[in-house]
Amino acid sequence: MEENFVPLQIDFNKGKALVKRYSVKWTPTIIILDLNGNEHHRFIGFLPPEDFTAQLILGKGKTEFDLDHFEQAIQCFQEVLTLYPKADAAPEAQYYLGVAKYKSSHDPKQLKLGLEVLQRDYPNSEWTKKALPYSLIP
Amino acid sequence: MGKQIQWETSLTTAKAKAKKGEKLILMDFYNNL
Repeated sequence: MEENFVPLQIDFNKGKALVKRYSVKWTPTIIILDLNGNEHHRFIGFLPPEDFTAQLILGKGKTEFDLDHFEQAIQCFQEVLTLYPKADAAPEAQYYLGVAKYKSSHDPKQLKLGLEVLQRDYPNSEWTKKALPYSLIP
Repeated sequence: MGKQIQWETSLTTAKAKAKKGEKLILMDFYNNL
């Protein structure tokens, strides 16, 4: 974890300024920030180790995606899908994998291919519903 | 046995360390009930 992240713990009852700044209402709340303190991903509640790790990799991928580092983002999303395909973070990683591949290549077919994998591997996920319009891509 | 996590308690320090090491920040809000 410390290879990729600087771990920061904030006591909800003492860190009032940060609680307000990041609109935290419940604990545990985990937020992935870039080095300027900008938020890119958050999750709330206790998670088993594999789901927790999958969320961290997903968060790193979303940060790279937001910063237009699409190749690095693609690596992170693929890592989630390879190492933690059963994790709750996996369908979101698959969704963003298709989007990042599209942003990287400008080929709309990547969105449709991403949807096809979502429909095959995660048919009941909200992320599959969110990608459904990509079925209209010729 | 797992390595002990060295938690920072200041966002300012965490940002400085993140910049130095080209890392992201994992911010964990906790509450001792």
